[in-house]
Amino acid sequence: MAKEKAKSKQEASEKTEKTAGKVDLELDLRGLMCPLPMVRVSQNINKVPVGGVIRAVATDPGSLADIPSWARTTGNEVLKTERDGKDIIFLVKRVK
Amino acid sequence: MNWLSFLLAGVLVYVAVAVFLVGTVFRVYYWLKVPRSSIRLGIFPQANSQRGRFLQWARDTFLFLQVLDVDRPMWLFVILLHIGGLAAFVGHLRLIQEFTPLATALGKEGMGQFSLISGGIVGIVLLVSVIYLLSRRFKSPYRDLSTPEDYFLLILIFMVLLMGNHLRFFGHVEVEAYRAYVHSLLTFSPEFPVELAESGTRWVLVTHVTLSNLLLIYLPFSKLVHYIGTYAVNLVRSEAR
Amino acid sequence: MNKTELKTITGVLEQGMNRQLLYYLDVCTRCSICKDACHQYVSTGDVLFLPAYRAELIRRVYKKYFTRSGLFLPSLYEARESDDRLLDELYRSTYACTGCRRCMYYCPFSIDTTWVLGVAKAMLIAAGKGAQILTELAGAAVSKGENIDLFKDIMLDLNKETEKELQSLIGDSKATIPIEKEGADILYAALAGVHSILPPSVIFHKAGLNWTLSLFESANYGYFLGDVEKGRIIAKRIVDEAKRLGVKEVVISECGHAYRVMQYLYETWAKEELSFGVTAMVEIIARLIEEGSIEIPSGKERKIVTYHDPCQVGRNAGFYEEPRYVLNQVASNLRELNPSREKNWCCGGGGGLVAQPEFDEFRIKTGERKAEQIKQTRAGLVVSPCENCRLQITALNEKYDMGVKVTGLSDVVANQLIGRDIATSFEAGQTEEPEDED
Repeated sequence: MAKEKAKSKQEASEKTEKTAGKVDLELDLRGLMCPLPMVRVSQNINKVPVGGVIRAVATDPGSLADIPSWARTTGNEVLKTERDGKDIIFLVKRVK
Repeated sequence: MNWLSFLLAGVLVYVAVAVFLVGTVFRVYYWLKVPRSSIRLGIFPQANSQRGRFLQWARDTFLFLQVLDVDRPMWLFVILLHIGGLAAFVGHLRLIQEFTPLATALGKEGMGQFSLISGGIVGIVLLVSVIYLLSRRFKSPYRDLSTPEDYFLLILIFMVLLMGNHLRFFGHVEVEAYRAYVHSLLTFSPEFPVELAESGTRWVLVTHVTLSNLLLIYLPFSKLVHYIGTYAVNLVRSEAR
Repeated sequence: MNKTELKTITGVLEQGMNRQLLYYLDVCTRCSICKDACHQYVSTGDVLFLPAYRAELIRRVYKKYFTRSGLFLPSLYEARESDDRLLDELYRSTYACTGCRRCMYYCPFSIDTTWVLGVAKAMLIAAGKGAQILTELAGAAVSKGENIDLFKDIMLDLNKETEKELQSLIGDSKATIPIEKEGADILYAALAGVHSILPPSVIFHKAGLNWTLSLFESANYGYFLGDVEKGRIIAKRIVDEAKRLGVKEVVISECGHAYRVMQYLYETWAKEELSFGVTAMVEIIARLIEEGSIEIPSGKERKIVTYHDPCQVGRNAGFYEEPRYVLNQVASNLRELNPSREKNWCCGGGGGLVAQPEFDEFRIKTGERKAEQIKQTRAGLVVSPCENCRLQITALNEKYDMGVKVTGLSDVVANQLIGRDIATSFEAGQTEEPEDED
């Protein structure tokens, strides 16, 4: 579970500024297995304001379908999904 | 018989037996009326043959040996209570018809001795078992789980046993008198023979019979409906293949 | 609680009524023999987790609204209004249950507490109090089934990568992991993640089977949630795929509840008879070894290995001999847990608990028995063919300092087949990247 700790802030903000606008929360979900990446995103969505964005980095391939499907059913939005080597990066916007 | 005895040890007996029988049938009907789920709820391991399944069912229903792993005293007292209950039932049959072969073999005196000892032991064992079950319910966590029904039933059974034991040990009334009373019930003309009617023991008997009637009436509608339910429910256990 | 809500809840009980449930509600004597059967009660001493008490909560609603004696003499039964406090108690005791059914084994009446709690879950869902995370997980799975075309490309891409790993593992550049292969004999429903795909791929490839990988994961959060409709839809994704491809057999990954859903529940849920066989992964491995389709190289593992019977594989499905047969082929020192088989303790993570952070602390605490049991064997490797159990035991390993490695049955067999140490993990990206990748 040690991996879950947020990445060093610098590295995180550098990366995200390139990819999209403002990120309110960084989640490092690498190494977590299905369905935990989705669970962590769900648990943390209320920690950002409505309109806020979570940037989640996972390695579990199940999350590729899980997180967008979760967003669809809970009325949130996945702004972007991209892969960087083994990392899968999601930008999830809290809609309500 | 005075009117109160006639009501409690006469009329009520018929009512109780009728309610018990009709109630039992009603319970079975009520169960069968509800559709069963086709999901097989059995657990493993399971027997492969019909015979094996029957033996497993019988073991689960009458011995439940798996309980020995988790609660030995409870297993012991539960088994004693049920065997004792069965023995008491068989013993009472003597009041309908003397067990002639046994009585001939032992003689009148011997039969009386035998009855006093065996019936006495059964009465005590039952009482001890019920006291165990009851006292258990006053401790946590059993207390937290128990409902008034649990105490009510145990106290009712306890009282029935207490009165029964009183009749056995302090009654001073011969078996023939009780048999005469039971026969009067069977011929639908409830009556106490003189010996009983004039004895103070009569009131103990009336209490014993009254409480037994209440128990009988309540049985099909209480949790003790397992007297019939256990056969069906333990069959579900082996239902998986 | 208002009248409409109350009606919703009692309506669920009325609709969900079946004969087995009625037996269970009627015959329990509250003898509490089940108390020491439940790992959760034993670890917490909280009556809320005593199996008979869990069912008793439902019984009180039932007595109050459905029986004459309860109607006349409610206080005799403590027959309860289904008030809010009852729902809270119900929530805690119901969703905490792992569904291991160890209490059923010990009950002299064989009362299946899990079955009674099924109604409790339906009531909670009707009252809008279903477990939130499970609701979201089940919702996501349903949604994935409806929108599979959106994810297909990316899944096929991922599969290409897994395929390359398989090729490098077995040294065969032509090995494939077929997806949507019509006319395959076997449809393998895995879990998300290569750890659940690679080992069976190795085994199936070595056995020369005509198989295909399902687009859908076998896990079913609808079942854990207690929502039969969602559970049915989630399982139906695989059933439909199997029918579309015309397979003869669906093999369920090492995932206890997924097998239970497909083998024991689906046909009743969906009111249809399955046209194919349902096989557990442990079953097919044993079968392949027995019929000689795969040959386990000699040179058994000598270190102590122990096997944890997952509740849904052992007690609830009857696979006791198969995994032991397989393990005895690959390891020479298999040591049993005490107790094991039908008496085995639940790991503490079943019932979807490992997926719900609200139970994290609880499941570690209630897993103490399991940790103790495993420590006693002095084993270095714990094998268990259930994802829930493995995740839980892995977490216990960390908290209780057990010093073990936790793995699955197909993992040890696949490792043996490719000549690796049987405890090696199958993780993504552990093999060398093929050179032609840019």
